[in-house]
Amino acid sequence: MAGGADFETLFTRRMAIAAGVGGVAWTGLVARLFQLQVLEKDRYAAMAEENHIKLALAAPRRGRILDRFGRPLAAHRRAGRVSIIPEQTDDPQGVLRRISELIDIAPERLERAERDIHNARRRNAAFVPVTVQNELTYEDFARMNVHAAEIPGLDVEMALTRSYPRGRDFAHVLGYVARPNDRDMTRLEDFLLLEAGMNPERAYDSEMPSNSQERVELRRIRQLLKHPDFRTGRSGLELKADDWLRGQRGSKRLVTNAAGRTLEELPSDDLAPRDGRDMFITIDSDLQRAAIDRFGSESGASVVLDIESGDVLSMVSTPAFDPNEFVNGISSANYSLLRDNDRSPLYPRAHGGVYPPGSTFKMVVATAALEAGVINPSERVHCNGYYRFGNRTWHCWKKGGHGSVNMHQGIKGSCDVYFYEIAKRTGVDKIAEVARKFGYGDRWPLGMTGGRSGLVPDTEWKLRARNEKWHEGETLNFGIGQGQMGATPLQMAMMTARIASEGRPVKPRLVGLGPNVEGAHALDAPLDKALMQRMKAGMYGVTSEGGGTAYRSGDLGLGGPRLAGKTGTAQVRRISRAERLSGVRKGEDIDRKLRDHALFVAYAPADNPKYAISVVVEHGEGGSSTAAPVARDILAFAIKNDSGRKPSYSQTASVVTSPSQGEPT
Amino acid sequence: MSRNEGYTGFTRGEARTRTASMTLESLKLSSKLGRMPWGIVLLIIAMALVGLLTLYSSAYTNPLEQNLWKLQGVRFGVTFVMMIGMALCPISLWMRLAFPAYLGTLVLLLLVDLVGVTGGGAQRWLQIGPVAVQPSEFAKLATTLALARYYQMVLPQTSDRLFIHIGALAIIAIPAQFIFRQPDFGTTLALVASGAVIIFLAGLMARVIITGIVAGIAAVPAIYWFVLEAYQRERVDTFLAGLFGTATNGLGESYQIEQGKIAIGAGGWNGKGFLQGIQSQQDYVPEQHTDFILTVIAEEFGFIGSVALLTGFAILVGWSFYSALQSRSWFGRFAACGGAATIAFYILFNVSMVIGLLPVVGMPLPLMSYGGTALLTTMACFGIILSAYIHRDEKLMASGFL
Repeated sequence: MAGGADFETLFTRRMAIAAGVGGVAWTGLVARLFQLQVLEKDRYAAMAEENHIKLALAAPRRGRILDRFGRPLAAHRRAGRVSIIPEQTDDPQGVLRRISELIDIAPERLERAERDIHNARRRNAAFVPVTVQNELTYEDFARMNVHAAEIPGLDVEMALTRSYPRGRDFAHVLGYVARPNDRDMTRLEDFLLLEAGMNPERAYDSEMPSNSQERVELRRIRQLLKHPDFRTGRSGLELKADDWLRGQRGSKRLVTNAAGRTLEELPSDDLAPRDGRDMFITIDSDLQRAAIDRFGSESGASVVLDIESGDVLSMVSTPAFDPNEFVNGISSANYSLLRDNDRSPLYPRAHGGVYPPGSTFKMVVATAALEAGVINPSERVHCNGYYRFGNRTWHCWKKGGHGSVNMHQGIKGSCDVYFYEIAKRTGVDKIAEVARKFGYGDRWPLGMTGGRSGLVPDTEWKLRARNEKWHEGETLNFGIGQGQMGATPLQMAMMTARIASEGRPVKPRLVGLGPNVEGAHALDAPLDKALMQRMKAGMYGVTSEGGGTAYRSGDLGLGGPRLAGKTGTAQVRRISRAERLSGVRKGEDIDRKLRDHALFVAYAPADNPKYAISVVVEHGEGGSSTAAPVARDILAFAIKNDSGRKPSYSQTASVVTSPSQGEPT
Repeated sequence: MSRNEGYTGFTRGEARTRTASMTLESLKLSSKLGRMPWGIVLLIIAMALVGLLTLYSSAYTNPLEQNLWKLQGVRFGVTFVMMIGMALCPISLWMRLAFPAYLGTLVLLLLVDLVGVTGGGAQRWLQIGPVAVQPSEFAKLATTLALARYYQMVLPQTSDRLFIHIGALAIIAIPAQFIFRQPDFGTTLALVASGAVIIFLAGLMARVIITGIVAGIAAVPAIYWFVLEAYQRERVDTFLAGLFGTATNGLGESYQIEQGKIAIGAGGWNGKGFLQGIQSQQDYVPEQHTDFILTVIAEEFGFIGSVALLTGFAILVGWSFYSALQSRSWFGRFAACGGAATIAFYILFNVSMVIGLLPVVGMPLPLMSYGGTALLTTMACFGIILSAYIHRDEKLMASGFL
């Protein structure tokens, strides 16, 4: 029996124990708070920062491509874009539906977006925004922006999109950019890993821990490559100068809430991406435009070179395509239209089109003959309209013949018989050797894609390629630039520049300030100055002396300066005997596709050569009637516009020779 | 009918009960108000206001939650009036009501078990007409009062016989097993813990206590494997992982606790300032307006603020135990202790859980967390404690069931 008083004591003691335990518990809690809030404060504060500040990838701005005088050829345009970030929404279909209620979206685009979201989730790439609609109108952008906050997972932003303000003018020179495809991804991943000093094999090795330096870098690279603002060059300079233009990825600090929605962007200049470097090309975009205009509806190509510097001042291939269509992915229907068009707008004729040089090749044959010493320039050859060799007859273009001609007259009147004769005397291998000295048979990529080397045939080639002996009859065809001989308009312009400069080396150049060009070299095989003066005289005769094949095109219309040139015709097919007899081989009588190409090469001013040009008018029939006037007008424009004047990048021209890995300026 | 004009607010039945058992001179309302510990009442109000501010801070950016603080304010007003009313009721009334209330609660718990409404994965609610009630909340107070009533009855005879404490254990165990089966681990824990405190204070022999503790520790693995539900086991695992530093930071089950710790730690000495907490304002901590509201206070008011809060609680609980010592009746003493222990365990479990010292159990922070039932329990506990204090000089005679 516990007495009341005893129990009072016990109760009081127990209360004291309880109070003690409570005090210990309280102290424990405070101690723990002290640990968290005072001792480990910095760590947790950093985690809180890290928590709400997400580092988002920032794509670098791609460098611009500018013309000779700093006018943008490839630049940027601001365009609104709506995308969905799959990981931020449980109901992407619902978000898509909401978007399509607000703006017009083609059903195909919706389907594609749905597929992309599905794929992104499957590939565990749900953080990558899936673009639903590009190129929003201002109204649509504003409307989407207003609603963006209430639709989770929706991302509306102004993005910089690659833009080609000159459209078609530079399609074949610049090429275009596109979202990286699988092949681009592989190429870029390897390149960027190596650039970061890492071994790609270690990055791809799935045995490596996923937090290894290489695999982390690879994930970041992939994030960049899949970024909606990221584009890679797919052709042309955009492809070849991709590393120069690309820049380096950076980050931006975004304040996000727990759901991942961005609340604001903090200053992130220290993490900003390094934008790609601008590059200059040597082309004068005014001259380029004038040249394209001059072609009108004709198909063809033209290259204008600055003889002194080797700068390509204009490089036209027409018709062309609009590279802007490719930036956001061209639809396969539109691509088929381009691909299947008979006029081949995708075909880079100026440096990738191979034509028989026709009579424009005659200066090369004459030079070869003189170098070989098989003819004296004043020696006369009689032309009565045809030339017999073996049991076959070769015709001169001029029915009835030129009569007796020396070399000057042979060039001026483009007498085929004269050249059959001297080609036969010179021999195929010598002509080929001299042709190479003028740049034929060599590829001059100049930093572009699609360039071709054409073909300079010789006995060895024939044996190798056809396993046949060279027939001497073929030498006659070679002598007038027909047969196997193939040349690009670029090569023809280079030949003209070499003649006009009287044999000085010519180093063709398209990239004025930019990355080093792979395989860039000068055309500097020795050519005799006196010989070249003789060729110039012949070309002057063509445009400025009686009997010249382009007598009417010699005056540039600038009240003084004249041009010197050479006409040519590239046979599209053999002329049949029946046609030759009936005389029906011109004009409207035959299908356009079967008509010959008209060629003209020229330089101007004739007395002090500055510009060299080649013109090919496809199916234009006559060099003198079609191509020469085009060349004359383009040259006149170049002179009037002083296209070759000092380029705007020349202040920093020393950088041109520095390695492509140099710092941007 | 009533001769005491101070009791006009009471029902006829209550007044009759009181009249029938006149053992003490009645206190006038004015003198009762005079005995009211106004400092403590003001502290309760002040802490509730801090709670409302914190609630505002945790949710004002969220349009769905930005009015919660107003609703909670209304609830506090209502329960505050109830608390004052309960404080003014004589302690003898609560003693008489103790057993009937306990039995009524057991009936409700049985009904929940049979026809209860399931919410949040547990069968806790009972729909009575338009009102949904959670009998497990009443059970805490009812069990406390029943224990006090029980000891009031048996203690004058003896305290050193084990069997009288076994009766007390039964009083705890019956509602506890109902609540555990709902399942509501947190409430069970609070009920058992505060009941155990009363048994301890009632003089359970030390050797039994030690044996019980040893047995309890030995039973931990068995409880872990056979009593806990899978989700509860997961929480324990998470907790242990956090305690031993093997937690997967910020991911999976430990996300809530990690984010809570980050919020607390980021507060530092004096906090980021009201409405300035990064974690709090950007919804990083789940359940931040209910169980994890301490993280908001800790982040925005820092170590100083959280210790001030804990000090406030310590004053309230400490004063409650102190007031128990003042009471002349065993019922008054145990009722006040039981109420204080209930509140103290709420605080202890909640804070320990939020700062990562205990596994996550659903347990709100008194006066702070959003929610009506917990507030009701808290304020009712204070009502009983205040009543015991005001009527500390009443000597009660327990006789029979009432």
